[in-house]
Amino acid sequence: MKAQADRAKEFLRSLSEISAVSGYEYRLIEQIEAGFRLIADEITQDSFHHVYARKKGSKGTSKIMLAAHSDEIGLMITDVDQRGFLHFTQIAGVDAKTLLGQEVTVHGEQDVPGVIASVPPRALTSDNGQSIIKMEDMRIDVGMPQAQIREVIDVGATVTIRRKMTELLNNRVAGKAFDDRAGIVAMAVCFEELEKMHHLHDVMAVATVQEEVGIRGAGISAYRLAPDLAIAIDVTHASTSDHKNPSIELGKGPAVAIGPNIHPAIAKKLGEIAQENRLSYQFDPNPGATGTDARVIQITQAGIPTGLLSIPLRYMHTSVEMLEMKDVVNTGKLLAYFIASLPEDLEDFLCY
Amino acid sequence: MSHHSEDIQYPLLQRLTQQFGPSGSENSVIQAILPEIQAFSDETKIDALGNLIAIKQGTSGKQIMISSHVDEIGIIVTYMDKNGFLRFTAIGGVHVSSMPYRRVRFQNGTVGTIGVEKLDKLSDLKLEKLYIDIGAASEEEAAVKVGIGDSAVFVGEYAEMGSRIMAKALDNRAGCFVLIEAMKRVRSPHTLAFAFTTQEEVGLRGARPAAYALEPDAAITVDVTRTGDTPKAQLMSVKLGDGVAIKVMDRSIVVSPAVKEWMIQTAKKRNIPYQYEVLESGGTESGMIQLTKTGVLTGVLSIPARYIHSPGEMIDQRDLETTIALLVALLQDSLEENPLF
Repeated sequence: MKAQADRAKEFLRSLSEISAVSGYEYRLIEQIEAGFRLIADEITQDSFHHVYARKKGSKGTSKIMLAAHSDEIGLMITDVDQRGFLHFTQIAGVDAKTLLGQEVTVHGEQDVPGVIASVPPRALTSDNGQSIIKMEDMRIDVGMPQAQIREVIDVGATVTIRRKMTELLNNRVAGKAFDDRAGIVAMAVCFEELEKMHHLHDVMAVATVQEEVGIRGAGISAYRLAPDLAIAIDVTHASTSDHKNPSIELGKGPAVAIGPNIHPAIAKKLGEIAQENRLSYQFDPNPGATGTDARVIQITQAGIPTGLLSIPLRYMHTSVEMLEMKDVVNTGKLLAYFIASLPEDLEDFLCY
Repeated sequence: MSHHSEDIQYPLLQRLTQQFGPSGSENSVIQAILPEIQAFSDETKIDALGNLIAIKQGTSGKQIMISSHVDEIGIIVTYMDKNGFLRFTAIGGVHVSSMPYRRVRFQNGTVGTIGVEKLDKLSDLKLEKLYIDIGAASEEEAAVKVGIGDSAVFVGEYAEMGSRIMAKALDNRAGCFVLIEAMKRVRSPHTLAFAFTTQEEVGLRGARPAAYALEPDAAITVDVTRTGDTPKAQLMSVKLGDGVAIKVMDRSIVVSPAVKEWMIQTAKKRNIPYQYEVLESGGTESGMIQLTKTGVLTGVLSIPARYIHSPGEMIDQRDLETTIALLVALLQDSLEENPLF
């Protein structure tokens, strides 16, 4: 039991500490494969750097797709100015106010460490620097003169925040890119559980790409697989100090999404299975298309019955994302119990 | 690269820019392109979206799609009043602030100018304050020339100033011109599917069904991109005249590092001047093509252009010619050199 939680934590650490912004997921492939090697029957890739880990079912009648995205948000160099300061833009939704003072790695011809700086507050013309500094007024300083920089860093180089995972009290951890590498860890936990269980259907766990720039990878990988049922695993905002009426909370288990983006039979069954197995869970109502892989998978090909499990997480899209390991492990377990409970005839189960 | 390279047919570019082709009404442009490429195609067809597809057969068993959109921004008439003034809305990304007193031209040759109602302050300038005056004295007179739903383009004649070219619709007739010139020159082991696509300006729409039907093994889009080299411009490292821009990212695509590297290495090998492009706003049809079916690795060659979506879009012949040179070089790569297959 303890061993499983520790394995999950170490897998999350290894994934979190690698830099792989949207479009550059190839940097993560080796690490993902390492996490699935002993528990998958087959691991393949495609040219977009999706990783597909397959676990055969006893009958293989139908195909279940699990999807968690491997990319993280980050920055990209847009210019190197005459004094050697690097201008940058964001790749996907970076919260600018969290950037100042961060240590970063610029991924040029070689990886170069740097820091994110801006003009000092006293030099700002308006309101004494009390307002939030815009990203366009920030620079990355790598401590090299321009001529030298040009040899290793060019426009278009990607940038990520340097951050080691921190273990906090109560089995909570903080770090970067838990969104959505925690989802990949949950898929691995699911495979571990399935090793001990009997399940009829083939399961394909996919580390999807380019979610953060517009849910791009999930559609093409789902098109390739054409699964009979899919479940996306992502993170969701857990309550923070500003929430008056907390809805989703850390430690209270996976959030089972409900709403038009979710096939009702899948959401219902996930809730029932959690109760049967005494796994804590929370319902997460979503009024429209969710901001997850589920959004695109559901409407791929002729339509795919899709569910969504979300791991509660605080401070999304910062380098101090926080979650509770128990939630990650329980998400994986719930997935496995759900898959093992599925009848041979999915058509009947999925009938509206 | 010399200006006016003898074999580059700039009069063709002039003709292409002056064609009428707002999104949804691109047929004049397509019909202008068709006779130029027939001699260099094994097969041409026009699909349900109005895309023109020209195939050059290869022997490698691999197919590369090369796309360039033919449509341009414009306006569409929504209402005609008793006095013959026309109300309208924009086709594609035309900002209201840039519309007043521009000349417009309809497909049948009718011209007009965009007038403005009395404004108390500049911030009152809204689309509903604008109208088109085609010189008609009454609704009846106007209706003879123009009807509700007719679209028009902005007038912007073609001019060459040294190495620079100014005209309307260089976005993206310059791209179409690059494809045509490349078709004349290229000898490729691969099957090449040149797609002159429609409706890019209204949401990158034509390219996707084209890619769906073609199922290419890889794709290259040619389009214009903005520059940062004008007075107090928004920061952007791309400069007019510095060569073809190899796209790294825009809001529709993060170009695969393998594709980017292939383009850079090919440019280096052939001594073709190039620059990197990171476009912070706006997208290209490459973003749609790459997500077709099981995914298509797609790269983008961009022609630097100033004043995009204005009647005076400006490009440099050196950039145009380096774009042609790099496109031809990329397409001629044998299978072994091409990392996409």
